[in-house]
Amino acid sequence: MLRVDRRLLQNVDWALFATACALVVVSVMTLATLSVGRAGAAVALRQAAWFVVGLLALVVVACLDYRRLVRAAPALYLLGLAGLTLVYMLGRSVSGARRWIVLGPISVQPSELFKVFFVLMAVWVITSRWAQPVGRTTLVMTLPIAAVPFALIIKQPDLGTALLLFPVLMILLVGAGLGLRLLGGAVAAGLAALPLAWLVLRDYQRERILVFLDPFRDPLGSAYNVIQAKIAIGSGQLLGKGVVGATQSRLAFLPERHTDFVFAVFAETWGFVGCLALLMCYLLLLLRGFDIALGVTSLLAVQVVINLGMVTGLLPIVGIPLPLMSYGGSSMLASLVAIGLLLSVRMRQFQ
Amino acid sequence: MAIGLAVTAAFVVIVGQLWYLQVLEGGRFLDASDRNRIRIRPIAAPRGILFDRHGVPLVDNRPAFTLSLIPRELPRDPASRDAVLGRVAALLRIPYQELQDAVARVQADSFPPVRVRRGLTLEDVAKVEEWRLELPGVIAEVEPKRVYPTSRFAAHLLGYVREANEDQLRQGRYRRGEMVGQSGLERLLDEHLRGQDGGERIEVDAMGRPVRLIQQSEPHSGAQVVTTVDGRIQEAAERAMAGHAGAVVVMDPRNGDLLAMVSTPAFEIDRFTGTIDRSAWLRLVQDPHFPLLNRAVQSQYAPASIFKILVAAAALQEGSLTPADRTQCAGEFHLGTATFKDWKEGGHGTVDLQRAIVQSCNIFFYQAGLKVGGVTLVRYARAFGFGAPTGIELQGEKYGLMPRPDRRGWPAGETVNLSIGQGAVLVTPTQVARFMATVANGGVLWRPRLVQRIERSDGGLVYSDAGQVNGHVELSPVVWEFLRRSLWAAVNDGTGAAARIPGLDIAGKTGTAQIIGKSKATLGQDHAWFAAFAPVKNPEVVVVVLVEHGGRGGEVAAPIARKILNAIFFERVAAIEVRG
Repeated sequence: MLRVDRRLLQNVDWALFATACALVVVSVMTLATLSVGRAGAAVALRQAAWFVVGLLALVVVACLDYRRLVRAAPALYLLGLAGLTLVYMLGRSVSGARRWIVLGPISVQPSELFKVFFVLMAVWVITSRWAQPVGRTTLVMTLPIAAVPFALIIKQPDLGTALLLFPVLMILLVGAGLGLRLLGGAVAAGLAALPLAWLVLRDYQRERILVFLDPFRDPLGSAYNVIQAKIAIGSGQLLGKGVVGATQSRLAFLPERHTDFVFAVFAETWGFVGCLALLMCYLLLLLRGFDIALGVTSLLAVQVVINLGMVTGLLPIVGIPLPLMSYGGSSMLASLVAIGLLLSVRMRQFQ
Repeated sequence: MAIGLAVTAAFVVIVGQLWYLQVLEGGRFLDASDRNRIRIRPIAAPRGILFDRHGVPLVDNRPAFTLSLIPRELPRDPASRDAVLGRVAALLRIPYQELQDAVARVQADSFPPVRVRRGLTLEDVAKVEEWRLELPGVIAEVEPKRVYPTSRFAAHLLGYVREANEDQLRQGRYRRGEMVGQSGLERLLDEHLRGQDGGERIEVDAMGRPVRLIQQSEPHSGAQVVTTVDGRIQEAAERAMAGHAGAVVVMDPRNGDLLAMVSTPAFEIDRFTGTIDRSAWLRLVQDPHFPLLNRAVQSQYAPASIFKILVAAAALQEGSLTPADRTQCAGEFHLGTATFKDWKEGGHGTVDLQRAIVQSCNIFFYQAGLKVGGVTLVRYARAFGFGAPTGIELQGEKYGLMPRPDRRGWPAGETVNLSIGQGAVLVTPTQVARFMATVANGGVLWRPRLVQRIERSDGGLVYSDAGQVNGHVELSPVVWEFLRRSLWAAVNDGTGAAARIPGLDIAGKTGTAQIIGKSKATLGQDHAWFAAFAPVKNPEVVVVVLVEHGGRGGEVAAPIARKILNAIFFERVAAIEVRG
């Protein structure tokens, strides 16, 4: 058994924990409304089941000393890379993407958990003595740990998750004291590489970016998601349509409504007021998280901002789930493990 | 910290966008979501067609109109919805309650049309179209509908097609309103015949007018089934049975193909397809003549004198009798204190085995049966497939009844009864047909075959049946030859004379099954059998006729068999045409 120090228990960040749980409850309820009058509430039930699994993982991670986890980072990182390679070799295809490994009744998306391992690895490298003081050497040492998984993930193809790695790494480096000049240089180099990236992109990914630039390029094709999401969100108006009235979502006009676009469902149902409350929860969670640990929180923050941005039509659609809200076991597990890490750090900050 | 500020700033931008979308432009998007109506219109796949052995359709499809309600497009508030339903009820003279019930059974906002009434007339369709603006959510759909050459043609064989009933819906294999084969071949082959429905996703405006086609999937029509039935023979057999209750089975003894299967009285197959009102249904189900019953496979009768063929076969093969053995028939036979009578007052005089078959002499066979013994008789009967299913594809086949005597507990009186096909023995007309086919082909027990092959609409073969032998009956060639000759004589010089056709060698046997426990209505009305094959050399067809309460086999069943045989061999009627 894990020995639990009483001081540790005193330092549990209950507000953080409660906010995360509240968001998951909202998620399960939103998914349940999608199934009103339809075949079964299977999706909501599965999400709830994953919540339970994720909570167990959260408790375990919180009980472990995060420093030990950072020390184990290289091993976890390699394990994660192995998972990604495995997906590449024998993953299951869903709508043209190989992201899942099927294990009996469940399918696992290794790239989700990998994101957490990646943050641990980045922290391990940056804090290692070879990388001190933080400067050009650190940048050169850390870039490959993002580049290798980037190549593997973009092959799946999962543009969103792959692109996620760089901003998280940059935030960590800046937080560790990387000069802004160097950062600017790295970003400039990244932007310069963008035309190159265009070549790597699949046709549908290119189409999405073009559609972002001009939504009416193809209103029934690629732009369909954006337009329907906007209609869903907008028609919620100030107070929302309520569960029964949310026809956009419930009648399947809205694609991906369980996963990436779950926020649009929430927005249609509860309106601007509901959205404001939800965003306050996320902001609370993130600001509190930044007080505790930069890397893990920035991982969550980047996902939240990109997802909300793309669903509200501010950013192109890159397929990033909304942490704690979108349907998906692996994503749920990864997000709760991240929260567990935050709790672990917080509990041991005053030792 | 800087990062916290950055995230907060991002959130402010997102909230600003939400304010723009939901508050500033919210009304516009609400309009858009209300106009966002997509109608999913299923396009029913035409059911596969059943062909006879010459490629003539036994049943076909024709487009028909169906009145459907689309729950999602009906007015939301109950009062105006009821007004729409009321208008439909008045316009098309459909009971208002029926419409209410149809809508109540499904989710109020579901897309798929609820089929309310099939078989609309063009006039009805015109009315629906004319009133369209006042009837949101009401449409007239085109659906293929089964058409039959005549109302009762091959009714039991083909079977009827109706909407999935509550039981079938509970099993979850069918959608509400879907047409499902409910009996006969339609039921047996339903999964092949049904095909795959297609559909269209159409964007419609608030009035329900199509704005644009979004997506379309073509329906795939069901598989084509080539049966073994010969439509011409089926028709002739039905004509010959007109006015009688009973069954006819026509089989090819060379491969077990069923060329015709008739059960009378038949039901009106086209009235069962589509909407049937409850009283008409009850009339059919409660009809004392059971028109829904397929007598050829589902009714069991005493085989009567037809069984004598089997007794003769057993007696010769076992050496209990020789063709030369003679018996004096005085019209009565005494066993202990019991007296068994011949059907002919005064008897047949001196008869040998062939004579006994030709004259259908009971007294001779009482003694022959006792010599062979009940146990051996039953062994032979089972070898010929009695008391067991024939393996015909149709559902609900009856096995018949064949006792399992042991040597001690089997009273001689039972054997005497068994020798003339009475007592504890029951057979179906299909079993008799297979028995006759086995006699005709010299011992091969074919499984009766109804389906030759099933082809997908794109030509791919789904199923093919090359025929199947279920068993062999090994008798000496001399015995087979003797049986065939005796049966020929029975038609040409005996009880089956009414079946004789000049220019065709027919072998046959009459049977008259006595009814035990006669009711007043059927008093003295025995079941009449006639089982025949022709030509005697190289037999091509077996015809078995059973007329319930018809009287004597030779007087009632044999002439019917004659008509059928005449049609098979001498009438070259133009192939039947499906009315379309």
